[in-house]
Amino acid sequence: METMIKKYQQKFKKAREEMSKWDDIQSRLISQFRNASSIIARLEIIQNTKNYASLNSIGGIEVAVMQKQMDSLQTILLSMRKTMEDFRAVVLSLEKLQYDGKQLVKGSSNQMNKKQLQHRIGVKPTLANCIDGLVLLHEMHLAEYLLKSSLVSALSTLALKPNSGDLGALHQLLVDQPNILSEEVKCVFDIVFAEEIC
Amino acid sequence: METPEPKSQSSSLSSSSSPFPSPSYSERQWRPAAQRNLRNQWSKMASYRQQWLSSSSSARTHATSLVNAYLSQKYMPLMELGALKDMPDIRKKASLKLFKQQESHGSKLLSSYKEMVVVVMNMVNASKSMRCFLKGGNSSSLVQFSSTSGDVNDTGDCGGVAVFGFWSISSFERLAEELIQMFKLELSLKRLLVSELLSLSCEVSRGNQFCWSNELYPGEFGDLKVCNLYSNETFEPVRPRLKDGKSDMPTFQGNRQPGHEILQVYITTWLAEVNIDVHRVDEIFAMIGEEIHVPLS
Repeated sequence: METMIKKYQQKFKKAREEMSKWDDIQSRLISQFRNASSIIARLEIIQNTKNYASLNSIGGIEVAVMQKQMDSLQTILLSMRKTMEDFRAVVLSLEKLQYDGKQLVKGSSNQMNKKQLQHRIGVKPTLANCIDGLVLLHEMHLAEYLLKSSLVSALSTLALKPNSGDLGALHQLLVDQPNILSEEVKCVFDIVFAEEIC
Repeated sequence: METPEPKSQSSSLSSSSSPFPSPSYSERQWRPAAQRNLRNQWSKMASYRQQWLSSSSSARTHATSLVNAYLSQKYMPLMELGALKDMPDIRKKASLKLFKQQESHGSKLLSSYKEMVVVVMNMVNASKSMRCFLKGGNSSSLVQFSSTSGDVNDTGDCGGVAVFGFWSISSFERLAEELIQMFKLELSLKRLLVSELLSLSCEVSRGNQFCWSNELYPGEFGDLKVCNLYSNETFEPVRPRLKDGKSDMPTFQGNRQPGHEILQVYITTWLAEVNIDVHRVDEIFAMIGEEIHVPLS
Protein backbone atom coordinates (compact mmCIF):
# COMPACT_ATOMS: atom_id res chain seq x y z
CA MET A 1 0.00 0.00 0.00
CA GLU A 2 2.67 2.45 1.02
CA THR A 3 4.80 1.64 -1.99
CA MET A 4 1.75 2.30 -4.14
CA ILE A 5 1.36 5.74 -2.60
CA LYS A 6 5.05 6.42 -3.26
CA LYS A 7 4.55 5.55 -6.92
CA TYR A 8 1.65 7.95 -7.12
CA GLN A 9 3.64 10.70 -5.48
CA GLN A 10 6.28 10.20 -8.17
CA LYS A 11 3.58 10.78 -10.76
CA PHE A 12 2.48 13.95 -9.07
CA LYS A 13 6.06 15.23 -9.07
CA LYS A 14 6.15 14.58 -12.79
CA ALA A 15 2.82 16.39 -13.15
CA ARG A 16 4.22 19.38 -11.27
CA GLU A 17 7.16 19.55 -13.70
CA GLU A 18 4.76 19.46 -16.62
CA MET A 19 2.73 22.26 -15.08
CA SER A 20 5.77 24.44 -14.63
CA LYS A 21 6.50 23.88 -18.32
CA TRP A 22 2.93 25.01 -18.93
CA ASP A 23 3.61 28.26 -17.07
CA ASP A 24 6.66 29.01 -19.23
CA ILE A 25 4.68 28.33 -22.39
CA GLN A 26 1.88 30.53 -21.04
CA SER A 27 4.16 33.55 -20.62
CA ARG A 28 5.53 33.01 -24.13
CA LEU A 29 2.00 32.88 -25.52
CA ILE A 30 1.04 36.09 -23.71
CA SER A 31 3.97 38.03 -25.09
CA GLN A 32 3.30 36.71 -28.60
CA PHE A 33 -0.31 37.69 -28.22
CA ARG A 34 0.63 41.22 -27.12
CA ASN A 35 2.90 41.65 -30.12
CA ALA A 36 0.26 40.36 -32.50
CA SER A 37 -2.51 42.50 -31.07
CA SER A 38 -0.45 45.68 -31.16
CA ILE A 39 0.07 45.11 -34.88
CA ILE A 40 -3.59 44.28 -35.44
CA ALA A 41 -4.66 47.35 -33.48
CA ARG A 42 -2.75 49.68 -35.77
CA LEU A 43 -3.59 48.06 -39.11
CA GLU A 44 -6.40 50.49 -39.73
CA ILE A 45 -4.24 53.54 -39.05
CA ILE A 46 -1.39 52.39 -41.25
CA GLN A 47 -3.70 51.69 -44.16
CA ASN A 48 -4.82 55.28 -44.31
CA THR A 49 -2.55 57.36 -46.58
CA LYS A 50 -3.66 60.51 -44.83
CA ASN A 51 -1.73 59.41 -41.73
CA TYR A 52 1.55 59.28 -43.62
CA ALA A 53 1.82 63.08 -43.79
CA SER A 54 5.36 63.91 -44.99
CA LEU A 55 6.11 60.28 -45.73
CA ASN A 56 3.71 60.50 -48.66
CA SER A 57 6.54 61.98 -50.68
CA ILE A 58 7.95 58.45 -50.82
CA GLY A 59 6.04 56.60 -53.49
CA GLY A 60 4.51 53.33 -52.29
CA ILE A 61 5.43 53.80 -48.66
CA GLU A 62 2.05 52.82 -47.22
CA VAL A 63 1.99 49.60 -49.22
CA ALA A 64 5.51 48.75 -48.09
CA VAL A 65 4.81 49.45 -44.40
CA MET A 66 1.58 47.48 -44.53
CA GLN A 67 3.33 44.57 -46.22
CA LYS A 68 6.07 44.49 -43.59
CA GLN A 69 3.56 44.59 -40.76
CA MET A 70 1.52 41.79 -42.29
CA ASP A 71 4.69 39.73 -42.67
CA SER A 72 5.53 40.26 -39.00
CA LEU A 73 1.98 39.40 -37.99
CA GLN A 74 2.14 36.23 -40.06
CA THR A 75 5.39 35.24 -38.36
CA ILE A 76 3.92 35.83 -34.91
CA LEU A 77 0.76 33.87 -35.70
CA LEU A 78 2.92 31.00 -36.92
CA SER A 79 4.96 30.96 -33.73
CA MET A 80 1.75 31.07 -31.71
CA ARG A 81 0.69 27.92 -33.48
CA LYS A 82 4.00 26.34 -32.44
CA THR A 83 3.35 27.46 -28.88
CA MET A 84 -0.01 25.71 -29.01
CA GLU A 85 1.80 22.51 -30.00
CA ASP A 86 3.87 22.83 -26.84
CA PHE A 87 0.73 23.17 -24.74
CA ARG A 88 -0.61 20.05 -26.42
CA ALA A 89 2.51 18.13 -25.47
CA VAL A 90 1.94 19.02 -21.80
CA VAL A 91 -1.70 17.93 -22.03
CA LEU A 92 -0.62 14.62 -23.56
CA SER A 93 1.88 14.02 -20.74
CA LEU A 94 -0.80 14.73 -18.16
CA GLU A 95 -3.13 12.38 -19.99
CA LYS A 96 -0.56 9.62 -19.85
CA LEU A 97 0.00 10.23 -16.13
CA GLN A 98 -3.68 9.88 -15.30
CA TYR A 99 -3.98 6.80 -17.52
CA ASP A 100 -0.97 5.17 -15.85
CA GLY A 101 -2.46 6.16 -12.50
CA LYS A 102 -5.63 4.23 -13.25
CA GLN A 103 -3.66 1.23 -14.55
CA LEU A 104 -1.59 1.10 -11.40
CA VAL A 105 -4.52 -0.08 -9.25
CA LYS A 106 -6.00 -2.29 -11.94
CA GLY A 107 -2.70 -4.01 -12.52
CA SER A 108 -2.02 -4.89 -8.89
CA SER A 109 -2.29 -8.61 -8.05
CA ASN A 110 -5.46 -8.44 -6.02
CA GLN A 111 -8.19 -6.24 -7.43
CA MET A 112 -8.82 -3.39 -5.03
CA ASN A 113 -12.30 -2.83 -3.81
CA LYS A 114 -13.83 0.52 -3.11
CA LYS A 115 -13.01 0.30 0.57
CA GLN A 116 -9.33 -0.28 -0.06
CA LEU A 117 -9.20 2.68 -2.41
CA GLN A 118 -10.65 4.88 0.31
CA HIS A 119 -8.36 3.46 3.00
CA ARG A 120 -6.29 6.12 4.67
CA ILE A 121 -3.05 5.64 6.62
CA GLY A 122 -2.21 8.64 8.81
CA VAL A 123 -1.84 11.86 6.79
CA LYS A 124 -1.09 9.93 3.61
CA PRO A 125 -3.55 10.34 0.76
CA THR A 126 -5.92 7.55 -0.20
CA LEU A 127 -5.41 5.81 -3.53
CA ALA A 128 -8.69 7.33 -4.68
CA ASN A 129 -7.30 10.80 -3.87
CA CYS A 130 -4.32 10.09 -6.09
CA ILE A 131 -6.28 8.72 -9.02
CA ASP A 132 -8.86 11.50 -8.94
CA GLY A 133 -6.17 14.16 -8.53
CA LEU A 134 -4.35 13.08 -11.68
CA VAL A 135 -7.62 12.94 -13.60
CA LEU A 136 -8.54 16.43 -12.44
CA LEU A 137 -5.18 17.93 -13.45
CA HIS A 138 -5.50 16.43 -16.90
CA GLU A 139 -9.11 17.58 -17.35
CA MET A 140 -8.33 21.17 -16.38
CA HIS A 141 -5.40 21.47 -18.72
CA LEU A 142 -7.21 19.78 -21.56
CA ALA A 143 -10.14 22.20 -21.24
CA GLU A 144 -7.78 25.16 -21.07
CA TYR A 145 -5.87 23.94 -24.10
CA LEU A 146 -9.10 23.76 -26.10
CA LEU A 147 -10.07 27.25 -25.00
CA LYS A 148 -6.68 28.67 -25.96
CA SER A 149 -6.83 26.98 -29.37
CA SER A 150 -10.10 28.69 -30.11
CA LEU A 151 -8.78 32.05 -28.86
CA VAL A 152 -5.73 31.80 -31.08
CA SER A 153 -7.83 31.08 -34.14
CA ALA A 154 -10.14 33.93 -33.19
CA LEU A 155 -7.11 36.21 -33.21
CA SER A 156 -6.32 35.28 -36.82
CA THR A 157 -9.88 36.18 -37.76
CA LEU A 158 -9.69 39.46 -35.90
CA ALA A 159 -6.66 40.41 -37.96
CA LEU A 160 -9.02 40.86 -40.89
CA LYS A 161 -11.48 43.14 -39.12
CA PRO A 162 -9.92 44.49 -35.95
CA ASN A 163 -11.95 45.58 -32.97
CA SER A 164 -9.98 46.73 -29.97
CA GLY A 165 -12.65 45.65 -27.50
CA ASP A 166 -12.48 42.08 -28.75
CA LEU A 167 -8.71 42.10 -28.57
CA GLY A 168 -8.85 43.15 -24.93
CA ALA A 169 -11.36 40.42 -24.11
CA LEU A 170 -9.24 37.74 -25.79
CA HIS A 171 -6.20 38.93 -23.91
CA GLN A 172 -8.04 38.79 -20.58
CA LEU A 173 -9.22 35.24 -21.23
CA LEU A 174 -5.74 34.12 -22.18
CA VAL A 175 -4.27 35.58 -19.01
CA ASP A 176 -7.02 34.32 -16.70
CA GLN A 177 -6.89 30.65 -17.75
CA PRO A 178 -10.42 30.12 -16.40
CA ASN A 179 -10.24 26.33 -16.60
CA ILE A 180 -7.23 26.01 -14.35
CA LEU A 181 -8.35 26.73 -10.82
CA SER A 182 -5.20 27.35 -8.86
CA GLU A 183 -6.97 26.82 -5.53
CA GLU A 184 -8.08 23.35 -6.57
CA VAL A 185 -4.67 22.49 -7.95
CA LYS A 186 -3.07 23.54 -4.67
CA CYS A 187 -5.59 21.46 -2.75
CA VAL A 188 -4.79 18.34 -4.78
CA PHE A 189 -1.08 18.70 -4.13
CA ASP A 190 -1.63 19.48 -0.44
CA ILE A 191 -3.50 16.22 0.02
CA VAL A 192 -1.00 14.14 -1.92
CA PHE A 193 2.03 15.60 -0.17
CA ALA A 194 0.40 16.20 3.23
CA GLU A 195 3.22 14.47 5.10
CA GLU A 196 5.79 16.85 3.61
CA ILE A 197 3.82 19.85 4.77
CA CYS A 198 3.53 18.63 8.37
CA MET B 1 18.03 33.53 -55.41
CA GLU B 2 20.78 35.50 -56.92
CA THR B 3 24.16 33.84 -56.70
CA PRO B 4 27.22 35.43 -58.14
CA GLU B 5 28.62 33.44 -61.00
CA PRO B 6 32.01 32.03 -60.24
CA LYS B 7 34.44 33.73 -62.53
CA SER B 8 36.82 31.44 -64.27
CA GLN B 9 40.28 32.75 -64.54
CA SER B 10 41.01 34.11 -67.93
CA SER B 11 44.68 33.75 -68.62
CA SER B 12 44.86 36.65 -71.04
CA LEU B 13 43.26 38.98 -68.50
CA SER B 14 45.52 37.88 -65.68
CA SER B 15 48.70 38.25 -67.67
CA SER B 16 47.75 41.72 -68.85
CA SER B 17 46.49 43.11 -65.58
CA SER B 18 48.57 41.27 -63.04
CA PRO B 19 51.84 42.88 -62.06
CA PHE B 20 53.29 39.59 -60.96
CA PRO B 21 55.95 37.75 -62.93
CA SER B 22 53.99 34.52 -63.35
CA PRO B 23 50.31 33.90 -62.62
CA SER B 24 50.82 30.70 -60.67
CA TYR B 25 53.42 32.31 -58.46
CA SER B 26 51.40 35.44 -57.83
CA GLU B 27 48.20 33.56 -57.09
CA ARG B 28 49.95 31.45 -54.50
CA GLN B 29 51.30 34.57 -52.84
CA TRP B 30 48.18 36.63 -53.21
CA ARG B 31 45.50 34.23 -52.10
CA PRO B 32 46.32 33.93 -48.36
CA ALA B 33 46.52 37.70 -48.01
CA ALA B 34 43.28 38.19 -49.96
CA GLN B 35 41.53 35.53 -47.89
CA ARG B 36 42.64 37.13 -44.65
CA ASN B 37 41.43 40.49 -45.84
CA LEU B 38 38.03 39.24 -46.98
CA ARG B 39 37.44 37.40 -43.71
CA ASN B 40 38.35 40.56 -41.89
CA GLN B 41 36.10 42.85 -43.94
CA TRP B 42 33.11 40.53 -43.81
CA SER B 43 33.39 40.00 -40.07
CA LYS B 44 33.26 43.78 -39.83
CA MET B 45 30.21 43.89 -42.10
CA ALA B 46 28.46 41.39 -39.83
CA SER B 47 29.23 43.42 -36.74
CA TYR B 48 28.09 46.64 -38.45
CA ARG B 49 24.80 44.96 -39.09
CA GLN B 50 24.44 44.17 -35.38
CA GLN B 51 25.33 47.77 -34.54
CA TRP B 52 22.64 48.96 -36.91
CA LEU B 53 20.06 46.75 -35.19
CA SER B 54 20.96 48.03 -31.76
CA SER B 55 21.12 51.72 -32.76
CA SER B 56 17.89 51.47 -34.70
CA SER B 57 16.11 49.89 -31.79
CA SER B 58 17.36 52.38 -29.19
CA ALA B 59 16.45 55.19 -31.58
CA ARG B 60 12.94 53.78 -31.70
CA THR B 61 12.73 53.77 -27.92
CA HIS B 62 13.81 57.42 -27.82
CA ALA B 63 11.39 58.28 -30.61
CA THR B 64 8.51 56.67 -28.72
CA SER B 65 9.36 58.55 -25.52
CA LEU B 66 9.67 61.77 -27.48
CA VAL B 67 6.26 61.25 -29.05
CA ASN B 68 4.71 60.46 -25.66
CA ALA B 69 6.16 63.60 -24.09
CA TYR B 70 4.91 65.66 -27.02
CA LEU B 71 1.40 64.18 -26.92
CA SER B 72 1.13 64.71 -23.15
CA GLN B 73 1.93 68.37 -23.69
CA LYS B 74 -0.58 68.59 -26.46
CA TYR B 75 -3.34 67.13 -24.32
CA MET B 76 -2.33 69.01 -21.18
CA PRO B 77 -5.07 71.67 -21.45
CA LEU B 78 -7.73 68.92 -21.57
CA MET B 79 -6.21 66.74 -18.87
CA GLU B 80 -8.29 66.04 -15.79
CA LEU B 81 -6.06 67.02 -12.89
CA GLY B 82 -8.43 66.32 -10.00
CA ALA B 83 -7.20 67.71 -6.70
CA LEU B 84 -4.12 69.18 -8.36
CA LYS B 85 -6.09 71.64 -10.46
CA ASP B 86 -5.96 74.36 -7.79
CA MET B 87 -2.19 74.46 -7.65
CA PRO B 88 -0.94 77.66 -9.26
CA ASP B 89 0.47 77.31 -12.75
CA ILE B 90 0.32 73.54 -12.52
CA ARG B 91 -0.38 73.04 -16.22
CA LYS B 92 2.30 75.46 -17.24
CA LYS B 93 4.89 73.81 -15.01
CA ALA B 94 3.95 70.32 -16.15
CA SER B 95 4.12 71.38 -19.78
CA LEU B 96 7.55 72.89 -19.30
CA LYS B 97 8.79 69.71 -17.70
CA LEU B 98 7.39 67.63 -20.55
CA PHE B 99 8.99 69.97 -23.03
CA LYS B 100 12.37 69.45 -21.36
CA GLN B 101 11.83 65.70 -21.52
CA GLN B 102 10.92 65.93 -25.18
CA GLU B 103 14.13 67.82 -25.84
CA SER B 104 16.26 65.30 -24.03
CA HIS B 105 14.68 62.36 -25.89
CA GLY B 106 15.23 64.33 -29.07
CA SER B 107 18.94 64.66 -28.48
CA LYS B 108 19.19 60.94 -27.70
CA LEU B 109 17.30 60.17 -30.89
CA LEU B 110 19.72 62.35 -32.81
CA SER B 111 22.75 60.60 -31.41
CA SER B 112 21.28 57.21 -32.28
CA TYR B 113 20.70 58.50 -35.80
CA LYS B 114 24.31 59.62 -35.91
CA GLU B 115 25.42 56.12 -34.92
CA MET B 116 23.40 54.74 -37.80
CA VAL B 117 25.06 57.12 -40.23
CA VAL B 118 28.45 55.94 -38.94
CA VAL B 119 27.40 52.31 -39.39
CA VAL B 120 26.54 52.88 -43.05
CA MET B 121 29.78 54.83 -43.57
CA ASN B 122 31.73 51.92 -42.10
CA MET B 123 29.90 49.49 -44.35
CA VAL B 124 30.77 51.58 -47.39
CA ASN B 125 34.41 51.72 -46.35
CA ALA B 126 34.56 47.99 -45.75
CA SER B 127 33.06 47.32 -49.16
CA LYS B 128 35.74 49.48 -50.73
CA SER B 129 38.50 47.56 -48.96
CA MET B 130 37.77 44.11 -50.32
CA ARG B 131 40.60 44.14 -52.86
CA CYS B 132 44.12 43.16 -52.05
CA PHE B 133 47.02 44.92 -53.83
CA LEU B 134 50.69 44.14 -54.05
CA LYS B 135 52.65 46.60 -51.98
CA GLY B 136 55.62 48.32 -53.59
CA GLY B 137 55.33 46.54 -56.93
CA ASN B 138 57.17 43.34 -57.73
CA SER B 139 60.58 44.87 -57.42
CA SER B 140 60.95 44.44 -53.67
CA SER B 141 62.18 41.07 -52.51
CA LEU B 142 59.62 40.75 -49.72
CA VAL B 143 56.08 40.24 -51.07
CA GLN B 144 53.57 42.30 -49.13
CA PHE B 145 49.98 43.22 -49.74
CA SER B 146 47.85 46.17 -48.82
CA SER B 147 44.32 47.43 -49.32
CA THR B 148 45.39 50.42 -51.37
CA SER B 149 46.65 50.28 -54.89
CA GLY B 150 50.22 51.28 -55.64
CA ASP B 151 50.14 50.31 -59.25
CA VAL B 152 47.50 51.30 -61.81
CA ASN B 153 47.82 47.91 -63.47
CA ASP B 154 47.09 46.08 -60.25
CA THR B 155 43.31 45.57 -59.96
CA GLY B 156 43.66 43.91 -56.58
CA ASP B 157 41.63 40.89 -57.58
CA CYS B 158 44.46 38.83 -59.08
CA GLY B 159 42.78 38.86 -62.46
CA GLY B 160 39.42 37.73 -61.12
CA VAL B 161 40.46 34.35 -59.76
CA ALA B 162 38.37 32.63 -57.10
CA VAL B 163 39.60 33.69 -53.67
CA PHE B 164 38.25 30.75 -51.72
CA GLY B 165 36.20 28.10 -53.49
CA PHE B 166 34.21 29.84 -56.18
CA TRP B 167 33.93 33.58 -55.95
CA SER B 168 36.15 36.33 -57.25
CA ILE B 169 36.65 39.59 -55.40
CA SER B 170 34.02 41.29 -57.53
CA SER B 171 31.40 38.73 -56.50
CA PHE B 172 32.04 39.66 -52.88
CA GLU B 173 31.85 43.32 -53.78
CA ARG B 174 28.55 42.85 -55.57
CA LEU B 175 26.94 41.26 -52.51
CA ALA B 176 28.33 43.99 -50.26
CA GLU B 177 26.87 46.56 -52.62
CA GLU B 178 23.47 44.86 -52.48
CA LEU B 179 23.53 44.97 -48.68
CA ILE B 180 24.66 48.56 -48.51
CA GLN B 181 21.96 49.65 -50.92
CA MET B 182 19.29 48.45 -48.48
CA PHE B 183 20.86 50.21 -45.51
CA LYS B 184 21.39 53.42 -47.47
CA LEU B 185 17.76 53.62 -48.53
CA GLU B 186 16.67 52.93 -44.98
CA LEU B 187 19.02 55.55 -43.57
CA SER B 188 17.58 58.11 -45.91
CA LEU B 189 14.02 57.24 -44.84
CA LYS B 190 15.04 57.39 -41.19
CA ARG B 191 16.58 60.80 -41.72
CA LEU B 192 13.18 62.06 -42.82
CA LEU B 193 11.57 60.53 -39.73
CA VAL B 194 14.20 62.02 -37.43
CA SER B 195 13.76 65.49 -38.90
CA GLU B 196 9.97 65.21 -38.60
CA LEU B 197 10.16 64.02 -35.00
CA LEU B 198 12.65 66.69 -33.99
CA SER B 199 10.37 69.33 -35.51
CA LEU B 200 7.44 68.41 -33.27
CA SER B 201 6.42 71.35 -31.21
CA CYS B 202 3.35 72.41 -29.30
CA GLU B 203 4.15 76.06 -29.61
CA VAL B 204 5.21 77.69 -32.82
CA SER B 205 7.77 79.81 -31.02
CA ARG B 206 9.52 76.88 -29.40
CA GLY B 207 11.58 74.10 -30.88
CA ASN B 208 13.66 74.02 -33.99
CA GLN B 209 12.30 73.65 -37.43
CA PHE B 210 14.39 71.04 -39.17
CA CYS B 211 14.63 71.51 -42.86
CA TRP B 212 15.66 68.73 -45.24
CA SER B 213 18.48 70.79 -46.66
CA ASN B 214 19.97 71.62 -43.24
CA GLU B 215 22.40 69.43 -41.38
CA LEU B 216 20.87 67.54 -38.45
CA TYR B 217 24.25 67.56 -36.72
CA PRO B 218 27.49 69.32 -37.60
CA GLY B 219 29.39 67.39 -40.24
CA GLU B 220 26.39 65.30 -41.28
CA PHE B 221 26.70 66.17 -44.96
CA GLY B 222 30.32 65.07 -45.04
CA ASP B 223 29.22 61.72 -43.64
CA LEU B 224 26.35 61.45 -46.10
CA LYS B 225 28.73 62.17 -48.98
CA VAL B 226 30.78 59.13 -47.96
CA CYS B 227 27.59 57.09 -48.19
CA ASN B 228 26.74 58.66 -51.53
CA LEU B 229 23.57 60.05 -49.97
CA TYR B 230 24.27 63.69 -50.71
CA SER B 231 23.44 65.16 -54.06
CA ASN B 232 26.03 67.51 -55.51
CA GLU B 233 23.45 68.75 -57.99
CA THR B 234 20.71 69.87 -55.63
CA PHE B 235 23.09 70.50 -52.72
CA GLU B 236 20.98 68.60 -50.25
CA PRO B 237 20.72 65.02 -49.04
CA VAL B 238 19.28 62.54 -51.51
CA ARG B 239 15.52 62.37 -51.06
CA PRO B 240 14.17 59.18 -49.47
CA ARG B 241 12.66 56.63 -51.79
CA LEU B 242 11.96 52.92 -51.86
CA LYS B 243 13.93 50.46 -53.91
CA ASP B 244 12.71 50.81 -57.51
CA GLY B 245 10.51 53.61 -56.29
CA LYS B 246 10.76 57.32 -56.69
CA SER B 247 10.37 60.33 -54.53
CA ASP B 248 7.80 62.89 -55.57
CA MET B 249 9.81 65.71 -54.08
CA PRO B 250 7.00 67.83 -52.77
CA THR B 251 7.93 70.55 -50.35
CA PHE B 252 8.88 68.96 -47.08
CA GLN B 253 7.10 71.62 -45.15
CA GLY B 254 6.07 69.11 -42.52
CA ASN B 255 3.17 69.29 -40.16
CA ARG B 256 4.50 70.60 -36.88
CA GLN B 257 1.54 69.48 -34.83
CA PRO B 258 0.51 66.09 -36.16
CA GLY B 259 -1.98 63.97 -34.23
CA HIS B 260 -1.27 60.66 -32.59
CA GLU B 261 -2.29 58.66 -35.66
CA ILE B 262 0.38 60.24 -37.83
CA LEU B 263 2.92 59.76 -35.07
CA GLN B 264 1.95 56.14 -34.74
CA VAL B 265 2.54 55.71 -38.46
CA TYR B 266 5.97 57.35 -38.06
CA ILE B 267 6.94 54.99 -35.25
CA THR B 268 5.61 51.98 -37.15
CA THR B 269 7.53 53.04 -40.23
CA TRP B 270 10.66 53.30 -38.12
CA LEU B 271 10.05 49.80 -36.82
CA ALA B 272 9.16 48.24 -40.15
CA GLU B 273 12.51 48.98 -41.87
CA VAL B 274 10.78 48.64 -45.21
CA ASN B 275 13.99 48.91 -47.21
CA ILE B 276 15.77 46.10 -45.43
CA ASP B 277 14.81 42.63 -46.60
CA VAL B 278 15.85 40.69 -43.50
CA HIS B 279 15.63 37.32 -45.24
CA ARG B 280 17.89 38.45 -48.06
CA VAL B 281 20.37 39.96 -45.58
CA ASP B 282 20.48 36.69 -43.64
CA GLU B 283 20.89 34.80 -46.87
CA ILE B 284 23.79 36.98 -48.01
CA PHE B 285 25.64 36.59 -44.73
CA ALA B 286 24.98 32.84 -44.74
CA MET B 287 26.32 32.47 -48.29
CA ILE B 288 29.38 34.56 -47.59
CA GLY B 289 30.00 32.78 -44.29
CA GLU B 290 29.97 29.46 -46.07
CA GLU B 291 32.29 30.67 -48.80
CA ILE B 292 34.88 32.16 -46.43
CA HIS B 293 34.45 29.42 -43.81
CA VAL B 294 33.59 31.85 -41.03
CA PRO B 295 30.11 31.81 -39.51
CA LEU B 296 28.79 35.39 -39.76
CA SER B 297 25.44 35.23 -38.04
